Amino acid sequence: MALPLQAGLTPMEVAFLCEMEMVTVVPRQRLERLNLLSGPTPALRPPHRAPLPLWLALLLKRQRRANILPPPWLLPSSLERILKHETETSPLAFSPPPPHPHPITARISPTDHISPPFLPSSTAEAPPDYLPYHWLELGEILLEAASDDVPEPDRVRGLLRDLREVRMSKMRGSVKVLEGEGGGVSKMTGVGAMEVAEGRGFILGVLDGLRRLGSSREVARREREEEEGGGEGSEDEAMGFE
Amino acid sequence: MDISDILQSLGSRPAERDPFAEDLGDPFAADRGQQSGQADLQALTRTWVNERGAAELLPWPRDGLIERATNRIKQQIELVEQMTGDMDPKTNFSLIIIQTEVERWKFLIRSYLRARIAKIHKHTLHYLSTPALLERLSETEVAYATRHQQLLHNHYLSSFLGSFPQNLQNLNDTAGGISMITGPDEDGGVFVRGLGSRDIGGEGTITVRGRGRDGDGEVEVERGEVVVARWSDVRDLVEKGEMELV
Repeated sequence: MALPLQAGLTPMEVAFLCEMEMVTVVPRQRLERLNLLSGPTPALRPPHRAPLPLWLALLLKRQRRANILPPPWLLPSSLERILKHETETSPLAFSPPPPHPHPITARISPTDHISPPFLPSSTAEAPPDYLPYHWLELGEILLEAASDDVPEPDRVRGLLRDLREVRMSKMRGSVKVLEGEGGGVSKMTGVGAMEVAEGRGFILGVLDGLRRLGSSREVARREREEEEGGGEGSEDEAMGFE
Repeated sequence: MDISDILQSLGSRPAERDPFAEDLGDPFAADRGQQSGQADLQALTRTWVNERGAAELLPWPRDGLIERATNRIKQQIELVEQMTGDMDPKTNFSLIIIQTEVERWKFLIRSYLRARIAKIHKHTLHYLSTPALLERLSETEVAYATRHQQLLHNHYLSSFLGSFPQNLQNLNDTAGGISMITGPDEDGGVFVRGLGSRDIGGEGTITVRGRGRDGDGEVEVERGEVVVARWSDVRDLVEKGEMELV
């Protein structure tokens, strides 16, 4: 009954999450509005586009009731620009994630804290040239289930593979900066969900090993700092003012 | 399921009326406004991912999220049972969609509860021994943990513990400065994403105070940024909803 899994999502669970991403479909058949648990679906009227969660879009696609419009970033031209960015512009860091579609304003809104997979980062209106958090899974799923809807599927497949390799080596390289400055907090800005799932065991293992090896040194440093005056407990609130 | 579910369903009924749902003739639609259904799915997903990512048991959601979600599922299943009556091929396909979605929700809840049970199993005494930790368990989980510990203890007593001298029979000794009760590793690393600060007027940047081997430091984490950090350094931020595990 208890879940026999380690902490952290498995690739299967990441794919499950990815299926909650919204995509744009072009229906080929009418379908009335359905009251689902997560709210009503839009009524499908060919040839009007409609946003649907990926799992539902796949269900319709398999029964040939709809076509899926690939997100703009999955087009070969966009992927090539991203790959260029990954290899030439910033050979060490990941390319930046898409900008948050709901900027923070003075008024508190429920969209302030929305995160993937609930951001519309893979619909037909999504910005090109940014890899969203679920890029790898979404690309693979669309290539497998809807390769006839993706222009130049073989080129896209090749580009995804190139991107994956470039980024995997960055992921492995990031171990060098772990436990460096910044008090053991290291940034992985732009990383993808599947990359986290794959690299988690390795990176956290390294982090844990380093922590265990350095724990006596850390305790000694902490004691020394406390003796030197204990001026550490200053509760400053430096929020957003530059 | 139990009385709290029934109370929950009574309480939530008048609050959220969906004006679109009325003319569709769905008797349960009034309970599921678009906003709240979508909001619950998002909250449930986040709760599940957080629970799967943390080594430690996280607080049980006290806003009735799980009860609400199980209620929604139950009502949807009743609807499916009604719809199976007329086997018109057109409704048949809608039925498949509805059932697929119900299965997805069920998976989320089941995986969430099972992940929690696994953590309770691993460190039962740890969670039962302090009131603050006990607070994190739901009522059924407290009952489960107590019963589990009871069975385990009786089994130990009858199989070997009973033949030990009295003063060695305890399972929660702290003699010699070392507690027999082990807990999860609070300093283990986690992957977290900044969700934006709850402060009004801020840029959404959160400050994480990290403790490293060679020095402590503060790192500014922007909205949507993923970082690796020690769980003990970000736990409060996750519980406040300013960060989430990934």
